[in-house]
Amino acid sequence: MKPDGPIKLLAELRDLQIVDKDDRICGICDDIELEGKPGGPLRIKALLVGPGAYEHRVPRWLFAVVRLVAGRSVTRVPWSSVETVTSRIRLKTTGEAQGLRQVEDRLAGWFGRLPFA
Amino acid sequence: MGGLIEITLGIMTAVGGFVDISELVFAAQAGSRFGYALIWVFAFATLGIAVFGEMSGRVAAVAKQPVFNLMRQRLDFGLGLFTLIASVVVCVITCAAEIGGVALMLKLLTGAPYSLLAVLSALALVTVIWVLPFKWIERVFGLLGLLMLVFAVATVNIHPPWHEVARGFIPQAPAGLPAKDLVVFAYFGVAIVSAVLFPYEVYFYSSGGIEEQWGPKDLNINRLTTIVGFGLGSLLALAILINAAVLFRPLHIDPQMPGTAALQAAIPFGRTGLLLALAGMVFAISGAAVETGLSAAYATAQFFGWDWGRYKKPRDAPRFTIAWLATFAVALAIVLTGVKPLQLVEWAVVSSIIVLPLTYLPLLLIANDPKYMGKHVNRRLTNSLGWPFYGLLSVAALAALPLYLLAHGGAL
Repeated sequence: MKPDGPIKLLAELRDLQIVDKDDRICGICDDIELEGKPGGPLRIKALLVGPGAYEHRVPRWLFAVVRLVAGRSVTRVPWSSVETVTSRIRLKTTGEAQGLRQVEDRLAGWFGRLPFA
Repeated sequence: MGGLIEITLGIMTAVGGFVDISELVFAAQAGSRFGYALIWVFAFATLGIAVFGEMSGRVAAVAKQPVFNLMRQRLDFGLGLFTLIASVVVCVITCAAEIGGVALMLKLLTGAPYSLLAVLSALALVTVIWVLPFKWIERVFGLLGLLMLVFAVATVNIHPPWHEVARGFIPQAPAGLPAKDLVVFAYFGVAIVSAVLFPYEVYFYSSGGIEEQWGPKDLNINRLTTIVGFGLGSLLALAILINAAVLFRPLHIDPQMPGTAALQAAIPFGRTGLLLALAGMVFAISGAAVETGLSAAYATAQFFGWDWGRYKKPRDAPRFTIAWLATFAVALAIVLTGVKPLQLVEWAVVSSIIVLPLTYLPLLLIANDPKYMGKHVNRRLTNSLGWPFYGLLSVAALAALPLYLLAHGGAL
C-alpha cells in the first residue's frame, strides 16, 4: 500500500530500491523532489534517480569524481507513478515507461550477441 | 528426502567453501609459531561468523534486504559510499590473493610458470562463472574443496596431544614471550579474526539468500548452515593449525608459502595425501576467488540499484556482469605485477578488518528493527553475542594497521 498520511521522507523513501510492475530492479531512490509554497504543505513531486541526484548528498569533491565516472543524469519518476512503498518502491508501470533501465537495456542488447550470455 | 539431500549438500558446500587462502596461511603459521595458543581466537571468530552469518541470512529471508541496500539506508549515503569503495578494494585484493594462491598450487602440481598459471586460472574462473549455472559452480568448488578433509584425517593420524589442544580453547597469550613476539601474536590474532570474518562471506551469503527467495520458513536451514557448516569449516582450518603445531613447530618450519601446508598430509599419507591436499586447496581457493569476485559486483550493483544476480544470465544483469569481469581483470593485473601472494594475503586481512565494523553495523541495526523484521528480530542471545562481538571487532579494526606495521606483517 502507498502511505496516505505524512511520511518521514528521508527515512522511508530515500535509498529504497525501486522495482517496476514486473518486479524488475529499476534503480534506487537517490533523492526526492518536493513542491509546495511557504506556509503550505509540502508534497512529493517526484523520485530522483541517477548520479546527478547525489549532488546534495556528498562533498563537492566527491560529486566531481562521481560526475567524471558516471555523469550527472537524473531521471524524474512522478509520484503518481508509484504503486506501493514497503521495503521497496513499486511502480505502476514498466521501468522503461519512466525512462529507467536505459543503460541496462542497451547493455543487454550488446551482451545478447555473446555466446552463453 | 530431496529436501534433506539439499540441506546436506548446502552444509557440505559451506564446509568446503569455508577455507580460503588467508585462513590456510594464517592457520599454518599460527600453529608453527605459537603452537595451540591461537586456537581460542579461531573458535571466537567462528562464533562471530556464525552469529553474523545467521543474522545476514535472516535479514535476507525476512526483510529481503541485501547488505549494501542497508548500507545506504542505515549509514547515510556518504559513509555508505565510503564503505562500498573500501569493500570493493578489499574484495579485489582478496580476489588477487586467491588467484595468486591457485596459481601457486598449480605450479606445485605442474611446474609451469606462475604468471602463466595465474592468467589461465583467472580465465578458467571467468569462463566457469560465465557458462555454468551458479548452483553447479557453488557445488563443484564447495564439494571438491572437501578433499581438504585429508588435513583433518591427518590430524587424527598424527596423534596430537589432545589435552594441549583442548587447553588452546582457553583465551590466553603464551607465557614468557618477549614484547616483540607478543606484538606478532596479537597481529596473528587480529589477522585470524579478519580471515574468518571476511566481509565478502556475508555479502555473498545474504545475496544468495535473496536470490533463492528465502522466506521465514527457511530460517531453520539458515541457522543450521551457519552454525554447522561454518563450524565444521572452521574445524578444517583448526586441523591445519594443529598439524602445523605437531609437524612444523619442532622443526622450526615457517610455512609462509601456502603450498607448505600440503606437506601436513604428505607426511602421514605420502604422495596420495599430498595430491589430495593440493587438489582440495586448489578447489577451495578457486571457490573463494569466485566468491570475492562476485561479492565486489554484488556490493556495487546493490548500492547503485543495478540488476544483479548470479542466477541470471550475463545479459539479464549486464552492469553486474561488467563489475565482476572488471574485478577479475584488476585482480589478475595485481597478481601479474609480481607482488607475492603472501603480501596480498596480508593486505587482504588488514584492509578487510578495517571494513568489517562498517559492514556489520547496518546488519545489527536492521536485525533489531521490528518494522523490517517483525517477530524475527534479534533475540536476547543473538544480541548478547552480537553487540559485544561488534565492540571487540571495532577494537581489532583500530588495532589492525598499527599491529601490522609494528609486526612487519608477522616477519619479525
